[in-house]
Amino acid sequence: MIVLDAGTTWSKIIESNTENRMNNFSSNLVKCENGFNYYVIPSSNLKDIDFKFDKATGHMSKSMLNSDSDYENEVIALIEGFRKKINNDGLIFDMGSRDSKWALYKNGKFKDLDWNNSCSSSTGATIEMLLKFYSINAKDLEFNKEKYIITCGIFGLEKIMDDIAKGSDAKTAISKFIHGIAFNAWNFAKKPDKIYLSGGFCENECFIKSLSTYCEVIPMGRFLLCEGLF
Amino acid sequence: MNVKNVIGFWGYPHPELIKKYKEKYPNAVWVDFDIDYGYEKQDILPESYCAIIKNIINAAFHYRDELYVILAPIGKDKCDSGWFAYEILKDLGFNVEKSLFEENTYRRNVRISTSNLPLRQKIELITKDIYEPQNLDLTPCKAKFGFWGVPPNDLSLLELFPNETHVYGWSRCVEAMTPADIEFEMYVDKDVPTVFYSQSFCSKAQLAKYLADKYNGLYIDIDDVATNSTRAKIEAFLRLR
Repeated sequence: MIVLDAGTTWSKIIESNTENRMNNFSSNLVKCENGFNYYVIPSSNLKDIDFKFDKATGHMSKSMLNSDSDYENEVIALIEGFRKKINNDGLIFDMGSRDSKWALYKNGKFKDLDWNNSCSSSTGATIEMLLKFYSINAKDLEFNKEKYIITCGIFGLEKIMDDIAKGSDAKTAISKFIHGIAFNAWNFAKKPDKIYLSGGFCENECFIKSLSTYCEVIPMGRFLLCEGLF
Repeated sequence: MNVKNVIGFWGYPHPELIKKYKEKYPNAVWVDFDIDYGYEKQDILPESYCAIIKNIINAAFHYRDELYVILAPIGKDKCDSGWFAYEILKDLGFNVEKSLFEENTYRRNVRISTSNLPLRQKIELITKDIYEPQNLDLTPCKAKFGFWGVPPNDLSLLELFPNETHVYGWSRCVEAMTPADIEFEMYVDKDVPTVFYSQSFCSKAQLAKYLADKYNGLYIDIDDVATNSTRAKIEAFLRLR
């Protein structure tokens, strides 16, 4: 079995180790666990894959399947992954590179969801571009209790550049930007007490600490949607 | 030279006004200017503005030489943007007749909104019913889902819903011939999972968001056409609720 979560920037793949279809991507292997291999590859490299996946989610994945019936809605995949790992109520929040989405389970039943795609410039892809632009490693970012109020990613970028022009260092400015995104995420999820976090931001300590200012944060890793496809 | 044969309108012009023009021009073609026909875009309104009002302006120019008149609701039965569009079109030299349909005296029971027809067909019949009465033999159904709001600019959005979707909000008010009845507009069946739709830049977003929160529904606003993410959000809501 091999499944794909094709994000806008990064694609996550889980392959059972009885398969050998990802041999050409061994450098993208991030972990091996319980008989499964986990890969993260740039979505721009999906075009180099010449086989079809057994199941997939993400808008870019439909051409990677034999049948439309093997495709799963992203929110459904997220919820399935969450419910498999956490057999309890809670709010699962997936922070992607382009958009963010969450779903809430209460009393064992689906209660609410939302999917933000219009203010997408304030999510992962923007942070990745900023880190590249200023040659900063995400691990070097430190939580900053101050935040930018980011009504829009472009306005946020303007604040970063303005602060840097006034003498602030880029790391501090980007940390404030990330804090602003974390604050927006918490508001977008209707200010919960606890968030189960999915997506690449699980690996960003600065984001986790920023979000933890507002609620308890349980990182669930980058493969939750893939896990929901099994 | 083009021959005049078109009566354009938006919203729900007053029934007496419709009757008057039906009698005056019995062979006229009635065109609902709210709908997106893909006509040439006019650079009159701001770029970020209600897509429905943009459709109205674009359609008015498209039919400019063929129009007898444009019937223009400007009151609580439509919106302030309808009122401003009326003033702009009048100023641009169009023959526009304003309309107010704010009374509830024409009230009737709804049948299309609660029928088992596909949702898109329901909405299209409701809007057509404004100028061409739809005397159909309809079968009612029990609601599994609800769609609240105005007819969306992107009608294909409605194809995501199952047939057992009842219509609420302004569209239901139109069928009931009470387009300004705010209480009826705010009515929903509280146990029916409902998608509350608003056109972006429309003041009805206020109601849609409020009602979605109140009834644990799904609030969506869409500008021009629904993105993949918005469609997926609706699909997920319909599957999970």
